[in-house]
Amino acid sequence: MKIENLGTSLTISEIPELTAVNSASFRDQVSAVLPAELGVIEIDLSSTRFVDSSGLGALFALYRATAQRNGVVLRIVNPRPEIRQLLELTQMQQLFEIVQR
Amino acid sequence: MKTLLICPSYRFALPQLVEHGPLAIAPILGECVASHWIEYLAGLGATHVQIVAADRADQVRATLGDGARWGVRLEVLAVSVEPTLAEATARYRPTGEAGWLPAPHEIVFMNHLPGCEGVPLFSSYATWFAALLAWMPRAMTPARIRVSEISPEIWVGRRAHISPTAQLIAPCWIGDQVFIEPGAIVGPGAIIEDRSVIENEARVVHSWVGPDTFVGPMTSVVSSLAWGRTLTNWRTDSALQVPDPFLMCSLSSAALTPAFEPFDRRTRATATRPLTSWLPSWPASIPRPAPSNPPVSSASSL
Repeated sequence: MKIENLGTSLTISEIPELTAVNSASFRDQVSAVLPAELGVIEIDLSSTRFVDSSGLGALFALYRATAQRNGVVLRIVNPRPEIRQLLELTQMQQLFEIVQR
Repeated sequence: MKTLLICPSYRFALPQLVEHGPLAIAPILGECVASHWIEYLAGLGATHVQIVAADRADQVRATLGDGARWGVRLEVLAVSVEPTLAEATARYRPTGEAGWLPAPHEIVFMNHLPGCEGVPLFSSYATWFAALLAWMPRAMTPARIRVSEISPEIWVGRRAHISPTAQLIAPCWIGDQVFIEPGAIVGPGAIIEDRSVIENEARVVHSWVGPDTFVGPMTSVVSSLAWGRTLTNWRTDSALQVPDPFLMCSLSSAALTPAFEPFDRRTRATATRPLTSWLPSWPASIPRPAPSNPPVSSASSL
């Protein structure tokens, strides 16, 4: 997993899967680098092949961690179609902006 | 009067549907494609129905039986390749033989539902879903005594259980022995096939839920075909095997572990609840959109 901190934005990419195996580590690593001044968090899921409910829980934990901060944009970028379906099935698209680039 | 039905064989456009069984016995509003045709042709006076099946003919035969249910003699003929209409005519309809239904019902290719020639069933998931919606008002034939129209364009199976706090939005079809749990929103454009369970606060909009399918609490099935643990978006053809059974799974005996088998379907659905109890509060905290059409709340048990 690669995390880039660009001051007010955070980009997380190269996540092969987001499951019970690595969701805790994802949560810990991202929370450790959350800057005080935060504008955008982008999670690039273009290389993510599998997400399960633990992975969704980790994404929701990120939402919870930033919910108190005004104006923070949470964006999921380029999810594979089936992962987008899972996000829609669980209504996560209401918490995250989902974009295809 | 004789008639011949040609079953569609494998269709590459519909892999998730074909994996469940031959398309001729794919479930549509509580019956299968072939059943709708046999009932229709029996109504036109057919007494002997031959069915040509190139895909899993044994399953077609086992599902349809001998035709006594429709008052006809039914034969399923296994072939290796799906014949065209012309090939079937040449092979099975001797020139000048009397006793056949008049055209176009002497030989029928089941690539659409009766009276819906303009809506092909098996071209894509989108056309499959469009054909089901078009068929919904026609499906209430006199023989369908287990389903009633409780409100305009809302059909409900007589043994369905619908929570008083669930919302049914027309048009929608709730099959027999379906459970719609509190706070669920079904419709518009929703078809829930027999013996499925739509859990608390779940949404099913512009979608088809196959038979024996559990749709978990707080989930949102939109523009999709959901059958067992397979979720297919009919707009994009994208398909997902849902990873966690508390989100969506099959309730059929074949899909369950032996430990579940002695229990009935409601018990199986209830048994999935402990699986959901550990969930974080995220589904409940997601705002729910308001329904676009006026809802109809139903009685608790119909």
